[in-house]
Amino acid sequence: MTLAETQAAFFSLVTDPEQIETRPELGLFDERLRIYANMYLWRLVDGLRNDFPKLAAVVGDDDFSALMSQYLRQHPSEHPDVGQVGRHLVSFLRQNRDPTRREDLADLAELEQARSEVFLEADRRPIDGSAISELGAAFPQARLRLVPALQLRRFEYHVAPVWRSIDDEQAPPAPLAQPNEVAIWRKEFAVYHVVLAAEEAEALRRALSGARLEQVCAAFADQDSPAQAAFAALSSWFVEGWVAALEIDPG
Amino acid sequence: MLIDGLSFTRAYLGHGVGLRQKHFTRWLSEKPAVDWVEVISENFFARGGRPLAVLEKVRADLPVVMHGVSLSIGSTDPLNAGYLADLKQLAARFQPAWISDHLCWGSHGSRYGHDLWPLPYTVEALNHVVDRVRAVQDILRRQILLENVSSYISFKESTMTEWEFLGEVARRADCGILLDINNIFVSAHNHGFDPYEYLKAVPADRVGQFHLAGHSDKGTHLLDTHDAPVPEAVWELFRSAVRRFGRVSTLVEWDDRIPELDELLAESGKAALLEREELGAQAARVVA
Repeated sequence: MTLAETQAAFFSLVTDPEQIETRPELGLFDERLRIYANMYLWRLVDGLRNDFPKLAAVVGDDDFSALMSQYLRQHPSEHPDVGQVGRHLVSFLRQNRDPTRREDLADLAELEQARSEVFLEADRRPIDGSAISELGAAFPQARLRLVPALQLRRFEYHVAPVWRSIDDEQAPPAPLAQPNEVAIWRKEFAVYHVVLAAEEAEALRRALSGARLEQVCAAFADQDSPAQAAFAALSSWFVEGWVAALEIDPG
Repeated sequence: MLIDGLSFTRAYLGHGVGLRQKHFTRWLSEKPAVDWVEVISENFFARGGRPLAVLEKVRADLPVVMHGVSLSIGSTDPLNAGYLADLKQLAARFQPAWISDHLCWGSHGSRYGHDLWPLPYTVEALNHVVDRVRAVQDILRRQILLENVSSYISFKESTMTEWEFLGEVARRADCGILLDINNIFVSAHNHGFDPYEYLKAVPADRVGQFHLAGHSDKGTHLLDTHDAPVPEAVWELFRSAVRRFGRVSTLVEWDDRIPELDELLAESGKAALLEREELGAQAARVVA
């Protein structure tokens, strides 16, 4: 066998160990191949368990291993960083809904994935809120440059209570179909998430897309006190370290 | 082609430990008593966040060595250009004393097993690995060290021993050797060869680093688990390696069921002590 043929046979056997017994013609039959086959699955499932601990807690250890084995058959690792092996898991869970499992697993996995991304996102020092008071008449035309370690995600299910229950070592509540939007961010080295009111989520979406401050604040137009609501939201963004810069269009 | 002027030089850093997430808080708040630190390269390919901040702090205090697990130098897949670019970028930022990976393969058809699979020790595999090591060294513009791996099977196609293969790769590709003492012990047990014969045959002028680690006895075989203290038999083999190779930068690996940092440092301290016993006072730690 050439080196390429040997590696093809070995890879096939290790990633699909049923062949170890059924395809002796591959020429690599050895009971010890099972060591590699077991380690292949164990290592990847263990990596996924590290990256999606809340998902693992909700489905339970045995079912998590079964679910991840199914996932890995469709999505073997294609990246040298084992931390990337779960990057298709959310879409896999959305496309392979199983009526015997909770309906909110894909959303829960997406929240975990977003938190992981934010954890390793580029560093950018935030500015404090005093900068906004210095804008004066330029306020409406100014734009917020938000830190990279901030995401806004829309979910079909309300997974924040599920997250909290696992942290509190309580049984998770039943899945609650309730569209909601969650901000996920890093402050120093800690990652946080919070469910936003609809108007604040819209304001954040506009800010993330580079809208001017007058457009960002217009998201609060339907509130009883729009200016006060906008001021409260923007102030909290500065406090949480979401704002990296204030930019004023030249001219 | 290798870079002009490339030649293997062995820097002695003393005794190091791996930088692991469990100990990040300690590393951020103090300077533990160790000579140098080894990092898993792939764990620091991120754009920012805590891992890189910890590494920045550690690097300000100590020499750092980058140790990869996904180079897949023996694979018949093309070299992963993106991976090498990330590796080069990380090296440019942290200026490691050296970069190492494993003499194995771990990917096929652009799919990664995240494991260290053994090679058949054939002339074809030798030529293939030598060409790829040269290519990697050209891209990184520096020599790399390759580590012998633990293995559980061997290939009937092999026409040379592992130590002959390792020595030939190092000589022909002009790279260094990261000699894992525990891996020699594990593979010797699993394949029935004499680990001391292996040590004797490795070219001394190519050995740039030692690894020490614990393993598990599974009855039918030893498994390289990195989840326990270094066993006495591996310490004995280490003593022999020190006598044969002299002072070589030594690192204790512990990757699963990781203990508190003080226990890990104690294992590293034991390696320093044994080295001193074998070589005398000249082998005192680099950092007191």
